[in-house]
Amino acid sequence: MGATSAIRIQVEATLAQRVPAALTLKIKQAPELFSTGMAEVDAMLGGGIPRSSITEVSGTASTGKTSFALSTLANVTQLGHACAWVDVNDALSPESAAATGVDLRRLLWLRMSAERKLKLTDKPWSWLEQALRATDLLLQTGGFAAIVLDMSDVLPQHTMRIPLATWYRFRLAAEHARSALVFLTQSPCASSCAALALRCDTALVKPFSEHGETPLFEQQQYRLVRERNRNEGSPFQQKKPIGRVNWSAETQWTRCG
Amino acid sequence: MMYAVLHPPNFFAQAAAMQRPELRKRPFAVFDGEVPKEFVFAANKGARARGVEPGMSRLQAESCNVTMIRRDVACEEVALTSLHEIVCRFSPRIESVAERSGTYALDIRGMNTIFGDAIQLATKLRQSVMTVGLLANVGVAENFHVAGCLAWGRAGVSVAPIGCEADALGGLPLSVLPLASEHAEIFKAWGIHSCAELAALAETDLISRLGQVGKKLHALACGTLPHLMMPVEASFESGLVERMELDCPVDDLERLLFILSRMTTTLLERVRTKARAIASIRILLTLDSTARHERTVRPALPLQDTPTLLKLMQLDLEAHPPSAAIVAVELHAQSAPPYRAQHGLFLPQAPEPGQTEVLLARLRKLLGEDRVGSPELTDDYRPNAFRMAPFHPLASQRNELRSPSVSVALRVNRPPQVISVQLVNERSVRMYWNSVAYVVREAAGPERISGQWWTETHWCREEWDVRLTAEATERLCRIAFDPRSRCWYVQGTYD
Repeated sequence: MGATSAIRIQVEATLAQRVPAALTLKIKQAPELFSTGMAEVDAMLGGGIPRSSITEVSGTASTGKTSFALSTLANVTQLGHACAWVDVNDALSPESAAATGVDLRRLLWLRMSAERKLKLTDKPWSWLEQALRATDLLLQTGGFAAIVLDMSDVLPQHTMRIPLATWYRFRLAAEHARSALVFLTQSPCASSCAALALRCDTALVKPFSEHGETPLFEQQQYRLVRERNRNEGSPFQQKKPIGRVNWSAETQWTRCG
Repeated sequence: MMYAVLHPPNFFAQAAAMQRPELRKRPFAVFDGEVPKEFVFAANKGARARGVEPGMSRLQAESCNVTMIRRDVACEEVALTSLHEIVCRFSPRIESVAERSGTYALDIRGMNTIFGDAIQLATKLRQSVMTVGLLANVGVAENFHVAGCLAWGRAGVSVAPIGCEADALGGLPLSVLPLASEHAEIFKAWGIHSCAELAALAETDLISRLGQVGKKLHALACGTLPHLMMPVEASFESGLVERMELDCPVDDLERLLFILSRMTTTLLERVRTKARAIASIRILLTLDSTARHERTVRPALPLQDTPTLLKLMQLDLEAHPPSAAIVAVELHAQSAPPYRAQHGLFLPQAPEPGQTEVLLARLRKLLGEDRVGSPELTDDYRPNAFRMAPFHPLASQRNELRSPSVSVALRVNRPPQVISVQLVNERSVRMYWNSVAYVVREAAGPERISGQWWTETHWCREEWDVRLTAEATERLCRIAFDPRSRCWYVQGTYD
């Protein structure tokens, strides 16, 4: 054992000029995480979504992507950080954001303009291009702890046209700016650039309540499936977390009650 | 240091006679105040000889058979401006003596090369004042107060040689000193009438009887009281202007930026000397068509760096370009104390204020003016009522923890999309949206809402939450029926 150590030190000393610490295991830093505000989801993700990385949340309509993202932003803004929401289809509801607990004064909302589409070519690609440029500017400036690029209403054939180099650039910029970059898409598009890939599904279909005279929509059950998590192999995590989890979201009127 | 003090005696009466020269040979009094409390404000020598004194009522003064004229503040300002312009020609450092109106003190050190010795300078100064129709006395001395006393106490030009200030003041009455009435009474009782008599008193005895006032008066009478000159300076803010006329018209913004950069740097250097920053810059462009193009760049926080200000100006001018080529550029800056922030290792992350300004300007250029900002909920019953507020991230502070439950978010369709709804027994059973037929599995509602019914912009609608299915997909939507237009809309999708 002593001889092995001596040889290792000798080899490292020889290669020190070219490769520092060539044979020493590089300790991976534990990623900084932002809680999603849902205990069961945090348990599945090992604490939350990673900072300085890309998190991709994909799923069809009404599968809870926006609720998930707003819940995460609510936690981040309440820690005092500034956040940004790049809204490709101008679909964010400030009322929903406020109801979830997002501090709107710390939220920069970029709305891809419906009016400007007349000047540009009348294709979603133009809005997407605007959104990508805006995201690029946000990442280059830095200072935003979380940036959500909301492409939920963009068809997969359009998101798939985005060059992979864009996602690589975003990954490096997010790492440099220490921002949690969250993509909301209908189908995964960032491939290996996303450190965390989640798929949203509808879980149990809970019928509208019949307590009153008329039915009332009270809550919705969602399911979150972890497709990929680069931080899973971290030595700081003792056991492998579960791969899917169900969570529920309530309507504003039931929460008020 | 040499001081020359210019004092126009009875300034208000002289200012009144400046516009009406015929009054000079007649006794007149200037009155002020509202009826019936009009009082004599100033009187010329002839009127005073007839017994008119400032403070008398108008009726009392009229009984002395003098001409009465109302005080005109505009005339006084004209006279003051004339005096100010004249003294500025004789020295760059002037001080306005607040106690006596129209009186100026000039620092004349080094002026002998231009105006000759002290007597010549004082004579030229007095003659210049006389050309505008005012009579003035000029006192010159090494001590500020001595020069002032000479101007107040002696007519014409008086010069106190260096080292002989006490002798020059000696013959003057005590009234030239700033005496309180109680002290004037005391000195009268003591039989002290001139400055020389006051200077001859022992300083310690005077202090023991009058206190610190006695010490000051003794120093004044001896001509040894020091003075810190506070020169009149042009307003710093009014000086923050840069102008440049171009040899040939420039229609390219890139080329204009070189000029703007130089001018901004000059303004910033000027501002930094006062430890301040630029709060706003007004850009005035004179165009080839003789029209003027004006833009104002106002960063959220005062800035001290040229690149950021220049970038903001560039983005603003690109968003609002001038209509013709530019022939002259003018920059007006407004200064403010610079922004200072206490950073910390453990403070939450927020963008730098300067960089945020540039970022927002870039984003506004990319997306549009009203498409960038923070949403702010308005006090309105209409669903999704909000306005876009400027994005200014707050000072880092943590908020209280929120409730543990998560709210279902609504994705809003802007504008609402028109759909076709098939009704059976007044219940929606099928829906056609974007060429897709959805079956309505569940529906909750209607929720009838209305507002602004007292105005022409009143609105009302019936809203439903519906669970839709089409083939393998399912979605939760909020649809609305407008009774006035009889149309169905999709308000948004729950996600």
